[in-house]
Amino acid sequence: MTAALQAYWAERGCLIHQPWDAEVGAGTMHPETFLRVLGPQPWNVAYVQPSRRPADGRYGDNPNRLYKHHQFQVILKPAPADVQAVYLGSLVALGIDPAAHDVRFEEDNWESPTLGAWGIGWQVLLDGQEITQFTYFQQAGGIDLAPISAEITYGLERITMYLQDVDDVYDLQWAPGVPYRRVRHEEEFQLSRYSFELADVDLFRTLFESALKEGRRVLDTPAPGASGGPSRTVLPAYDWCLKASHAFNVLDARGAISVSQRAGMILSIRKLACAIAERHVRPDDPGDAARG
Amino acid sequence: MAEFLLEIGTEEIPAGWLPGLTEQLRRRFDEIAARELLAGEVPAEAWSTPRRLVLRAEVLPRQADREETVWGPALKVARDTQGAWTSAAHGFAKKNAVAADALGTGAKDLAKPGELYVFHLTRTAGRPAAEVLAGAIAALLRALQLPRRMSWDAWLDDGKGAFPFARPVRWMVAVLDGAVVPFAIRALVDGRPGEVVVAAGDVSYGHRFLPRGRGGEPVAAGSFAALRDGLRAANVVLDPAERETIIREQLGRAGALSGAEAHGLVAEWRDLVEFPTVLAGEVPAEFRTLPAEVLETVLVHHQKYAPVSEGGRVARFAALVNTDDAAAEQIVRGMQRVVVARLRDAAFFFAEDLKRPLADRVEDLSGVTFHRDLGSYRDKAERLAGLIGGPLDGPLGRAEDRAAAQEAARLAKADLTTLMVREFTELQGVMGALYLERQGAAPAVAGAVRWHYYPVSVDEGSAPTGVFADDTAARVFAAVALADKLDTLAGYFGLGLVPTGSSDPFGLRRAAQGALRVLLDFWPASAADDAPPPALRALLAAAVQGHGSRLKRPAADVQRDLEGFLVDRLRFVLVARGFAGDETDAVLAARDPDPLDDPRETLARLVALHRVRLEATADFEALAVAFKRARNILGAAPPDAVDPALFQEPAEKALHAAVAELSGRDGSYEARLRALAALRTPVDRFFDDVLVMAEDPRVRANRLGLLAQALSLFYRIADISKLGG
Repeated sequence: MTAALQAYWAERGCLIHQPWDAEVGAGTMHPETFLRVLGPQPWNVAYVQPSRRPADGRYGDNPNRLYKHHQFQVILKPAPADVQAVYLGSLVALGIDPAAHDVRFEEDNWESPTLGAWGIGWQVLLDGQEITQFTYFQQAGGIDLAPISAEITYGLERITMYLQDVDDVYDLQWAPGVPYRRVRHEEEFQLSRYSFELADVDLFRTLFESALKEGRRVLDTPAPGASGGPSRTVLPAYDWCLKASHAFNVLDARGAISVSQRAGMILSIRKLACAIAERHVRPDDPGDAARG
Repeated sequence: MAEFLLEIGTEEIPAGWLPGLTEQLRRRFDEIAARELLAGEVPAEAWSTPRRLVLRAEVLPRQADREETVWGPALKVARDTQGAWTSAAHGFAKKNAVAADALGTGAKDLAKPGELYVFHLTRTAGRPAAEVLAGAIAALLRALQLPRRMSWDAWLDDGKGAFPFARPVRWMVAVLDGAVVPFAIRALVDGRPGEVVVAAGDVSYGHRFLPRGRGGEPVAAGSFAALRDGLRAANVVLDPAERETIIREQLGRAGALSGAEAHGLVAEWRDLVEFPTVLAGEVPAEFRTLPAEVLETVLVHHQKYAPVSEGGRVARFAALVNTDDAAAEQIVRGMQRVVVARLRDAAFFFAEDLKRPLADRVEDLSGVTFHRDLGSYRDKAERLAGLIGGPLDGPLGRAEDRAAAQEAARLAKADLTTLMVREFTELQGVMGALYLERQGAAPAVAGAVRWHYYPVSVDEGSAPTGVFADDTAARVFAAVALADKLDTLAGYFGLGLVPTGSSDPFGLRRAAQGALRVLLDFWPASAADDAPPPALRALLAAAVQGHGSRLKRPAADVQRDLEGFLVDRLRFVLVARGFAGDETDAVLAARDPDPLDDPRETLARLVALHRVRLEATADFEALAVAFKRARNILGAAPPDAVDPALFQEPAEKALHAAVAELSGRDGSYEARLRALAALRTPVDRFFDDVLVMAEDPRVRANRLGLLAQALSLFYRIADISKLGG
């Protein structure tokens, strides 16, 4: 199924990329989305992204909810005029004939407070089941976007369950004769066990603080040499931002974040993400922090 | 008359926006047409589906000609004594590019017909409608108010630049008697207009997928009739009213109409699709034993499906699809899979939640924040216990009622920690009750937990009317509901977070109205044990005190503001019940006892006043007038005692005697008011015969004192001077 999607979008002009090799909660967090949607440069890209959501872990017992699920992420920048039709074509490529089902675009806007990002769009429902999040990005890193990117995020497990007529995700055939269970059940159990019971809270708190600190340091370090301008290390800084975000998610699953702390921690990640976005679109501007 | 047809074809607009947008489309266009002198005789009409907004209007094919009078200098300046045109006249004529002889003369000010001025009539020929409509379309698009706009990189050539909208526009129809009205939307590139992305034409598009194999085919749209009929053939029901009729009819056949209506689904469904079809599915038997509230919430909350009950259990559901029923079997199979997945979650939550007694969850409430400055729900539960054990202790009367209320207050919020309520917050209270019932709690306790968030409506018959089987159940509920609402009110007022004219994010008006309704409608009137009714002001004071150092304002100020707010809300509730505004104001202005202390007494006084006033209307009108006068005279100064030795006029003696006679009267409000109506004659005579503001200060003070005494007879029931507005 992944191959079918990759082929379809490659044909539509998307660069087929690879997942980001760090813990992320969604395809949106991949620099190919977060950084590419910023600024005026057109870009079309598609990639699979395993997405970790510690709070959704169910030890492998729940037939619908996973610690880690797989998204197929497509970014089209600028959003083409026939973007909905193109998306529907991808369903046909997957073997889903929209006319033989009830396919609807139902209002569902999306927001990521940690990334300072939000968009307007829909969840695509296939016979009442959400299979895709379809969003016109309006803002990322606190910056208004122009041109607007269309983000199409498929839930791979969910669509495959539908196509294979299977009620339990672990019964999915990952490949002929190889059920999902054999590939991922043990991982689900171990990851859930770790994030709900074993994770060292103090360690993750330290990781959270350190990640933010290092990300900020990297961003603010001036470039070597006489120029004195900011260094071009947006991507390493962003890597640290992602680590902070994952640490937050683990602490959250562990129940270690009080209601009063939560808002502050989210704000801290967001501040770094927005600073990174700013530097990415204005590489020569050291920002208010450096100006003092 | 020419037919103007406009269709804005978009990507799916949120269903909730469509009724408002359709109405706006109509109204704004009529305004614009009037302004542009194009308006026909009948108002415009509009329709919508999620993918299109359609307007049809009859307009003049050409604007009315515009005639404007441009006034020049006064005639005596414009003409000299010989009757020739002066330079002033010539200058004015030249400025308007006409010959002086073409100027007219007339009176600029119709009130001064003798003063003549010269004038020039400019005639602007009306432009053809086709020319004007392009600008009108732009103005119309800009005038539409949207809950949210999205950028889609679009630009209009109307001088206002970027054009964010509800959703991207993908096509437009704009025709005037069949001829295309030129209009275009451009791309916005690098902050500047780029190429045209949408050009108005005379072609629309049908349903995305139907007819099968021809979905999205073009539809000729030279006229509204062609558009409407062409869309129908292309599986688009343009008229929302028609979609609703189809939905109702199909729901009826599926036996799901009442279930859908109960959850407000019919109106929502109407604007979700272009071609409505209702399909039915089954709730598998293994889930039918889940409580009906849970089944309904899962079906309605997540899936927008209508529950169908059979024999008291939810057995099936009805669902809306945007297609025909050719693939019904396959679609229903898919829908059932989703429903099963969600119900399995709900069943899991239910089973997990039941593993722990609800009482064990109370400690966990310290992790659930009520408000960051007001503490956790654990703190709130403690405060509620304080109110129940404090000012509500006496009114609760019997020991077992007190115990039940304490128990209910302790447990009322515990279900906020359950998996079910965390997933479906609208089930708060309901789940607490369901779990308690299954864990053997007393019905009065479970009932209080279930209903303590109510009443939410001011309507007299609304929930939880008729719910409570006996006085105990009613009193326990009333105590917890009252304590919770007053604690909330005191907390937010204490933080200074009071409602404004346009915003009430914490629902404090509803909380206050709910508290008043509890006292008016739910606290059992007959206390077999002589228990006093709850004293609202004392309750408020205790609620304020309960927040202790969390208050950000002095307690006295908070109390005062709360009381003012509650009086205001009491007025609202009473007027909403149909009582006259002036009578309500009169009763609320009464003193000793305070109308806020026992709203039921206040209501009784209001009923009595209304009845007696109807009987003795003339008397009350006269008294109202007299007492308004009296209040003006009395002002703020407190009157002295009355000394009969200072009376000079018989009218003074007569009024004094009447006041003395009525002072001792007791009895029902009605009886007392009837008797007081008899004051009319001596009061009128007093004002006719007596100069109140006498020269002698002692006589004056005496007369003022007598008036004040007469007024105060009424104050125990109503301030009559407020009648008649």
